[in-house]
Amino acid sequence: MDTKKLTHLGLLTCLALIIFIVELRIPDIVPIPGVKLGLANIVTVYCVYNYRPGETAMMLYSRILLGALFSGNLMALWYSIAGGTLCFIGMEILKNFIREDNMWFLSIAGAVCHNIGQIAVAMLVLKSTSVIAYLPFLMISGCIAGLFTGLCTQMVCKRLKRTRKVS
Amino acid sequence: MRARTVYIVITAVILIGAAVWCAYVMKPKSGKTVVISQDGKVLYHIDLDSEKDKTIDVEYDGRKNIIEIKGGRIHMKSADCPDHICIDTGWLEDGKPIVCLPNRLVIEYEDGDIDGTAR
Repeated sequence: MDTKKLTHLGLLTCLALIIFIVELRIPDIVPIPGVKLGLANIVTVYCVYNYRPGETAMMLYSRILLGALFSGNLMALWYSIAGGTLCFIGMEILKNFIREDNMWFLSIAGAVCHNIGQIAVAMLVLKSTSVIAYLPFLMISGCIAGLFTGLCTQMVCKRLKRTRKVS
Repeated sequence: MRARTVYIVITAVILIGAAVWCAYVMKPKSGKTVVISQDGKVLYHIDLDSEKDKTIDVEYDGRKNIIEIKGGRIHMKSADCPDHICIDTGWLEDGKPIVCLPNRLVIEYEDGDIDGTAR
């Protein structure tokens, strides 16, 4: 990996972390564990389309680890890792079929995968299957949040392409 | 353009499916037996109809949850976990359990009406 790419990935991790930390300041709207916007997913979706899977994984896991350290919520780390991994695998597979102008759908699919991962860990931690009752609520919020972050990514990509042409 | 239609349909199907599932979960439960379990082990079986108003303290790893039963209803009164989601969930009303993830505590209605009809 050349220095330029490493720098890019470092910057992207940094960006994702900042978004993540800012998002922590947004209060929970609904009292359902795990419901959030997931704005940092914008960076992940961008990486999935513009970088190789290994590089995206490095960015994603550095962000999850550092994010958990910065927020001081190490319990949430396992949910993030499980959700993040499932989301990442799902998006890497689906990106081969979904063109860039339908990025929003990739983001939704990723969000739903993330929710399934979260609930799976919650079931393991609680040693109880009853938390699956929360999955449909998470899926609805995941669809909405995924659509939002996906559209954001699409706009970012469009603008980035334009600036690249100019420079 | 065709692909986009397919994606919109898939999203709609997921949303509708989830909504139906939500409605199913939120259906009020007929049974009145509540199970409080921690770390996969059942701590209490409580019949809300006959139970007097009281509070139950549950400890986990040095952290404490206080569950309150009042007027045939149950909720989490206080918890010293960081997020307080279990308290915000409010009273237990439907199939949506009260969950305290950090303290591994679950409060839910017992499945099925076998218990209710037998009594």
